[in-house]
Amino acid sequence: MTVNLAINGDASTYEGDPRTSLLDVLRNHFRLTGTKAVCGEGFCGACTVHVNGKPIMACLQPIGVLDGAEVTTIEGIAPLDELNAVQQAFEDFDVVQCGMCFPGMVMSLSAFLKENPNPERDEVKSAMTGNICRCTGYERIIDALMSVQGLEQVSSQKSEKVTS
Amino acid sequence: MSGKFNSNSAVMNFPRRDSQDKLRGRTKYTVDMENSDVLHAALLRAEIPSARLISIDTSEAKKMPGVKAIATHLDAPGLHGIGISDHPIFAGDVVRYHGEPIAAVAALTKAQAEAAAAAIKVTFEQDDAVLTMEDALSIDAPLVHPDWENYEILFDGAARGGNIAWEATVQRGDTNAAFCRDDVTIVEGCYRVGRQSHVPFEPRAVVASFEDGRYHIQTSTQVPWTVRHVTAKVLGIPEAQVQVTVPAVGGGFGLKFDCSLEPYAAILAKKSGRSVSLYNSRREEQMTCLCRENAEIRLRSAVTKEGEIVGREATVLMDCGAYGGEQVFLTSMTAHTLGGNYKLGSVRISSRAIYTNTPPNGAFRACNGVYNTFALERHTDEICSAIGMDQIEFRRRNVIGNGDIGATGQVFEGDVLRPMLEQLLEKYPIGDTQEVLPDGRLFGRATTVGTWFIFVGPSAATVNLNADGSATLVTSGVEIGSGTMMQSLPQMVAASLGLHPSDVIVKTADTDASGRDLGVGGGRTTVSIGAASMAACEEVREKLLSVASQMLQTKAEDLVLKNGRIEIKDRPGSGATIQTVAQQAELDFGPISGSGAFTNPGVKAMPGCASGHFIEAIDIPVFAVHDCEVAVDPDTGHVEVLSYRIIQDVGRALNPRAIHGQIQGGIVQGLGYALQEEITINADGAFDQTGFETYRLPLAGDVLPIDFELFEGAPSCGPLGTKGAGEVPILNVGASIACAVANATGKAVSELPLTPPRVLALLDDDGYTGLSLTHISSEWHKNTLGRTSSY
Repeated sequence: MTVNLAINGDASTYEGDPRTSLLDVLRNHFRLTGTKAVCGEGFCGACTVHVNGKPIMACLQPIGVLDGAEVTTIEGIAPLDELNAVQQAFEDFDVVQCGMCFPGMVMSLSAFLKENPNPERDEVKSAMTGNICRCTGYERIIDALMSVQGLEQVSSQKSEKVTS
Repeated sequence: MSGKFNSNSAVMNFPRRDSQDKLRGRTKYTVDMENSDVLHAALLRAEIPSARLISIDTSEAKKMPGVKAIATHLDAPGLHGIGISDHPIFAGDVVRYHGEPIAAVAALTKAQAEAAAAAIKVTFEQDDAVLTMEDALSIDAPLVHPDWENYEILFDGAARGGNIAWEATVQRGDTNAAFCRDDVTIVEGCYRVGRQSHVPFEPRAVVASFEDGRYHIQTSTQVPWTVRHVTAKVLGIPEAQVQVTVPAVGGGFGLKFDCSLEPYAAILAKKSGRSVSLYNSRREEQMTCLCRENAEIRLRSAVTKEGEIVGREATVLMDCGAYGGEQVFLTSMTAHTLGGNYKLGSVRISSRAIYTNTPPNGAFRACNGVYNTFALERHTDEICSAIGMDQIEFRRRNVIGNGDIGATGQVFEGDVLRPMLEQLLEKYPIGDTQEVLPDGRLFGRATTVGTWFIFVGPSAATVNLNADGSATLVTSGVEIGSGTMMQSLPQMVAASLGLHPSDVIVKTADTDASGRDLGVGGGRTTVSIGAASMAACEEVREKLLSVASQMLQTKAEDLVLKNGRIEIKDRPGSGATIQTVAQQAELDFGPISGSGAFTNPGVKAMPGCASGHFIEAIDIPVFAVHDCEVAVDPDTGHVEVLSYRIIQDVGRALNPRAIHGQIQGGIVQGLGYALQEEITINADGAFDQTGFETYRLPLAGDVLPIDFELFEGAPSCGPLGTKGAGEVPILNVGASIACAVANATGKAVSELPLTPPRVLALLDDDGYTGLSLTHISSEWHKNTLGRTSSY
């Protein structure tokens, strides 16, 4: 099956088994390895990407239903030499450890804060439940996210092509 | 020679240089390195816990599409291990655990490799399996290693026998006399814990190639030199034929403190002439996780009414699984954890690693210290109940202080635990304790103490001063996520050389470029690699100052290195830039570099106290005081942690913000261990928990912010007075939660994790009868192999 879709603004074509997960297509076919394969069952959130602006877990999404979709991965969430507001907050608060969960964390929370620019701490915690982290114990990540509130500059570069 | 630099300049919240690429998804972990030219590998694993293999037929598999190489035990003749060489990398004649590799296949695609692995024909006769330590110790138990007596011994002095892989004992003083005193109360308790899985988000992974007659192994490991050594040993080749390099590691927590998949990929790379990628699926990673081991403990203490512990007897059974591995080493640590924290008049300890037909266990952040501290602190509170003494008062009277002796007779230096305890109680005074909260839940608070150590040992470092005035630090250190290689090490080098840490380049681990090292684990990176790095810097400083002294016509002792310059003391702006001096040095002598080394200073134990111990005394003790409040729901058995606060002994905090990250993360891992992470082993010898659905990691909603203060100034031989800060936060979390739940419920909490069903069982007045481990005798000498006197 042939699937035509836009990945980070690039017109892209996949040919193969339509049941292959978007995660495998991104990592193995297009070598976009920023999207992480961790649990493979939709529990951990490390493979979160945006499809048509909505966060989804790429490990659960068959490529066959994505013809015409606009996919944004961690590689396309911010212009080349910039960090988006969530990435910047994580950087400023020095919360990254091993880093494997952070691409998915950035994708989920960027979408959440765009929809909820001024959340309470409990709401941020709820929003993070689908993103598991083994290193950090979460709370400092939440501290960082609370600093983003009200900025409303959490953009996902939905279909703009990222160029250098 | 000028000597001292201002070590305060090493203290800062320097940000980590790897975070931006990690946040952008650009960092390439080993699992991200499957370029188009690599072959993909898969393992055929046993699906039974115990069997004799009759034949392994790969002929059909070899003909399958895309298959380029197949490896079996015939390709890896050697055995490896810690203390004993008991571990082949492939099951050849015998399968000893569910999940044990039998063959490895490399093919053009992962699917082809998996299909070919499934097509390998194995015939076998199933044997009876021993799945529990109780079974393994029974009189007529089948032996997991019938040939145990023929294995190569790598470290002498331990008692071994049958399914007892290793036995380490301690005897100091006359415990029999202590227990016979007529003024003591004898308190006895049993404790049991299950396994804990690390769940690093990057599974164990490797890409190997064979080039110019040597193996190049890129791997996700904490121990590049162990991988080099073990790969050579099992392949039967010289170690010099193996190069190990390590990209960013996506989490380790101790799981990657051993060689794992590397030899399979190495063999396949040589056989196929191609680079080979091999990584565990999440299911394989869970099913073969080298967990924190399950353990069973019996403690007996003879205590006076004033609270003096005049005698203590302890027996610990540690399940090493099918092969000895890390548990053999960890038998040594029982003395320093179960035998730690408190002054003991006399003590004897038997610490045994037991073979079972289950997946091998390994090292996990603070290892057996975590459950030994749980058992010890629960036992301590049971002693308090028995003699009618307040839990805090007992600890005040008994914690180890300056000049006190430990279980093996080592003399502790400095009062650390007691002032830490006072610091915590001053910040959080014990108030009127409510027993029941307004919502009907049971309230409990507990304060616990813990003793752990920094694993020191050999490290090497080279510092090259570059002509542009920057410095390159070359070590075998690995960045596993804790930030040590990104923060404390460049901070130390920069402070020593008068640079900014961003001008210190940190070379990633490469055994062809850097000297030998024991690896990143046990809190040793800042201490051991740090000390070697500081020694290397000292040589660079001496060379720089000697050249600068000539250039500036000033005695070296009157020169200081700061802000990228070498200046005359008290004359800011004088002198020259380090770059200028480095360039002059090149003209005079050639480029400046320095090398440094470190090993453990070797604190002494009391002769004759310990046998079978790899470490008889701890070189750098590290202490922790934890306190928590819990609410226990008597209807559901759910335990909510209301507060968690700690005082942590860090020696000296070089990057307090990074230490905060380690404390928050380490304690949450401990909360998982205490409350929800559970592994059960089924009749097939396999774990029931094979993924994230069944193995319950803490989620954001399960956690709370940890309140902490750092205790600085305790004695340490670490550079600038440091101790490792990343490992120890997890140490007494299980203990604190268990003691708080016991205080809330008034029940004898003897097992972890405290899942709701286990808590409900505790609260069932009719059903709960406590824990009685009948396979561990109340007569201590019966828990030894008889090398020790049994009077």
